[in-house]
Amino acid sequence: MIADQIVNGVILGSMYALVALGYTLVFGVLDKLNFAHSEVFMLGGYVGLSWFALGAPLWASVVVAFVICGLLGLFVELVSFRKFTGRDAQITASLSSLAVGIVIVDLVQKHWGSEPVSLPLPVELRTAGFTFMGVTFNWLKLGILGFTLALMAGLHVLVSRTALGRNIRAVADNPTSATLMGVDVKRVNQSTFFIASALAGVAGVLLAMRTGFATSDIGLSFGLKALAIMGIGGMGDLRGAVVGGLLVGLLEGLAFQFGLGRIADIAVWILMIFVLLVRPAGLFGNATARDVRA
Amino acid sequence: MSEPVLQAQDLAVSYGPVQALRGCSLHVGEREAVTVIGANGAGKTTLLRALSNMVPASSGAVRFRGAELGGRATHRLARDGMLHVPEGRGVLGTLSVLENLRLAYDVRPSARSFSVALDDVFACFPRLAERRQQKAGSMSGGEQQMLALSRAIVNQPDVLLIDEPSLGLSPRMVKEAYRILRLFKERGMAILLVEQNVRVALNFAHRAYVLRQGRIVMEGESAALLSDPEVMRHYLGGPVDSAGGEAVS
Repeated sequence: MIADQIVNGVILGSMYALVALGYTLVFGVLDKLNFAHSEVFMLGGYVGLSWFALGAPLWASVVVAFVICGLLGLFVELVSFRKFTGRDAQITASLSSLAVGIVIVDLVQKHWGSEPVSLPLPVELRTAGFTFMGVTFNWLKLGILGFTLALMAGLHVLVSRTALGRNIRAVADNPTSATLMGVDVKRVNQSTFFIASALAGVAGVLLAMRTGFATSDIGLSFGLKALAIMGIGGMGDLRGAVVGGLLVGLLEGLAFQFGLGRIADIAVWILMIFVLLVRPAGLFGNATARDVRA
Repeated sequence: MSEPVLQAQDLAVSYGPVQALRGCSLHVGEREAVTVIGANGAGKTTLLRALSNMVPASSGAVRFRGAELGGRATHRLARDGMLHVPEGRGVLGTLSVLENLRLAYDVRPSARSFSVALDDVFACFPRLAERRQQKAGSMSGGEQQMLALSRAIVNQPDVLLIDEPSLGLSPRMVKEAYRILRLFKERGMAILLVEQNVRVALNFAHRAYVLRQGRIVMEGESAALLSDPEVMRHYLGGPVDSAGGEAVS
């Protein structure tokens, strides 16, 4: 049923968007790629799963993943970004964060094994739902979608309306001018990493709920796609990450519908090649400005 | 005389092997407008950067309101009352006019509310009222300079460090910028102005320092320097040698 696949695509896309937002937020503020991001996202699934296995309610698992992955983001900022402030240190910071990501994967595999670990959601939670106009809606899926959309709306408000968001945009615009205006760039960088990583952690739990398991290779597959989505949407552009994520999710859903499952996994990369050829700065990107746009 | 608001003692700065500033001492008193003049590359911008700790001083000390700064973080200085408007104005182009002003206000909230401070800004620069929602980067250079100066209106610093406010502006806009700087002076804001436009600067300030190749070579009342043929000779300066080269401006 095509409508089912559209719904699935939107849900998948919203999770892509949540991860891509973190990439683009960090890039917008620091002008650097955080390659540890996809593995922080991966870890989120395991953190949520472990808490759930300990008997914590679902919402608490989400909160714990939010906090722990946010703190891990602070650690990544400290070891891979704090020291490398010059514009010419972009590659240094990216290499360092790549290494942190690989270490995270290794530690996860040491602790949980390299096989996927299942998240034992009660059957009734996984299946409960309703049918509307021939489309089957599942409460769990709808809950995931609603929650991701709420988080994105929250991030939009944070960046565009609050003092912290204004400081984030000020640093993204020009760190030197922001400093002279009294903005503590270090604090802003930390906040940015916390928010980006916490959202990725939440996306990790939500994906584990959706698929029913957590796996250590998800960072390389799902996580790297989110990086491509940032490129498609425009580096540093929050709208771009959301639109790009939904677009890719829909494309994959439709590919499955038409029996092109083989294409689904590669669709995002092909899309990125074409988008970049036509618009090198991405759909919403601005070729000159380094900033964060909400 | 009471203690100066801002005081530098033997301040020196090196960029690698290049000595950009070689032991500069100066002070800015309460309600005083002071200018540092000198040719391009004399070290004027470096001097302001050293005062607000954007570049580390290799030796010397800065005292602000009687306290040794000793490498206090630059962003804290804006909170403590030292506002530095850099060369190129330092306006945040992707933020709106209102957001730029709010940033300057929030960092040092005063007894008067933000909206009262805004009224003050718009009374000085009616043009900015029309453009309050506009992205600062989409405005003309002159309007951006108005915005840069307006930040001092809402921030109300104890001392304003301002770098080349006339740079790149039309003669009419230069006049406009100095009209506002005069207003600041009348209100009793201490100002340290760096300016290449010697005549404009000396007409504005109470006192002046002449910087040449990283050294203060002359100081005195503006009026006295204005009528001193030596000043013009120093300002024109001849060829700048390698030690005070372009890069350190």
